[in-house]
Amino acid sequence: MAKLVLSSGGTVVFQCFVDHERLAVGRDPTNQIVIDDQAVSREHAVILPVGNDHILEDLASANGTLVNGARVVRRILQHGDVIELGSFHLRYLNPKAATEMDLDRTMLITGLPDVRAELRIDDESSPLRRTRVSRTNFPKGHVHVTAGRREGSIIWLNHVIATFGKPGQQLAAITRRPHGYFLTHVVGRRYPRVNGQPLGSEPRMLRPGDVVQVADETFKFALD
Amino acid sequence: MARKRIETASATDLGNVRQYNEDSIAIDADLGVVALADGMGGHRAGEVASAMAAEIVLTGLRHRLPEFRSSTSQHSRLLAVEESINQANKAIWDAAQASATRQGMGTTLAMSVFCNGKVVLGHVGDSRIYRLRNGALRLLTRDDSLLRDQVDIGLITAAEVGDSHNRNLVTQALGVAATVPAHVREDDAVPGDLFLLCSDGLNDMVDDSDIELILNSLAANLPLAAQTLVQTAKDNGGYDNISVIVARVRKPRAVGRWLARVFGRLRAAKAA
Repeated sequence: MAKLVLSSGGTVVFQCFVDHERLAVGRDPTNQIVIDDQAVSREHAVILPVGNDHILEDLASANGTLVNGARVVRRILQHGDVIELGSFHLRYLNPKAATEMDLDRTMLITGLPDVRAELRIDDESSPLRRTRVSRTNFPKGHVHVTAGRREGSIIWLNHVIATFGKPGQQLAAITRRPHGYFLTHVVGRRYPRVNGQPLGSEPRMLRPGDVVQVADETFKFALD
Repeated sequence: MARKRIETASATDLGNVRQYNEDSIAIDADLGVVALADGMGGHRAGEVASAMAAEIVLTGLRHRLPEFRSSTSQHSRLLAVEESINQANKAIWDAAQASATRQGMGTTLAMSVFCNGKVVLGHVGDSRIYRLRNGALRLLTRDDSLLRDQVDIGLITAAEVGDSHNRNLVTQALGVAATVPAHVREDDAVPGDLFLLCSDGLNDMVDDSDIELILNSLAANLPLAAQTLVQTAKDNGGYDNISVIVARVRKPRAVGRWLARVFGRLRAAKAA
């Protein structure tokens, strides 16, 4: 359950829990959250519950709605957000969402009513961006190709994977992982060589200066 | 000797956070059937539900296979898959009703049945089916999820998806009601096509563009491709269980190709 705390000049003047009800914000006394400030419109904004989220929408208010200092028309509220309304601050607290506890545990919910009727639901769908933002830091590295068709070029290892060698004959991959770059044999009777020694079937972490041969390609690995 | 219709590889992993793996996988490459399920429910009931789903659809299709193979009608192929899903749903629902600790258990399901140049795709919930063809990845399913609904009716934009806490909310699941509205449809399966079935532990953690790059880079080694997908999801956080199945459509038998060539020539001669 999330909570809204309204304060003015550092003093808490009102607080309430938000769960599954729609909350209207404004100067008019019919709002659930009434803000007595001339800078606030009569019907200023609304907070809509959708699943685990609370979505703040500005109702075309005269002076606008600011969240953490930036003007927003709509925002999926995040734990700790401060909504500025005139001289008042409305703080959104949702520790459960902040710790993300259980939010990866699949749960069943009733779908939005309009959608099922309107859409051909077994159709292909346009991709959505992945929902989790990775907090992982990845290393930065590159290889300098000294022999083969890409001789003389620098290949930046700024993707999750890069392949070397000859497709259909001998192929090796370098995968980017949080703790370094790993060379793996992909396909072919012959295995790649690192500093002249054949690679085993297990991936091997590359060290700066390592020289790798895969099919007719030779390259030197470096960290940036 | 029966030649496998598809070449498959799979990987499943607990991830970095969870205590139990509630995903299940079932594969019969000779039959051309792959199924993946992501269970939910307390007291480890999710494991039970997902295992039941994957096994029951596979067993059901083994029984229905003769009619499935001989059938020239698309309708009966779709029906066979639908029936196998309904059977799994009913079994999970009954098991849930029979046990207090399993009340409310359920599971997603994604399955593909390959047959004579066609693939029947079935799914419920937010497990996905992708296809890599000519290097391009395409999502073939629409998630039964609140987030998908929100985006589709314009409640939020695709760019806001990352701000939402609704990624875990599915709107349909197997085993939570006496009947289930499953999505079942047929598509072409061209030799060389790579199908990917995955639980949301993959696509929540790894961008589609990275999934595409990994599949393209490692298409020559499917087990390594499956492992690398799972590894990448873990490297990016691994907040959920991660399961993937990759299935490549094989070229038809040599005799089939020979027949096709002969008939192709006959047809050409006729036309001339």
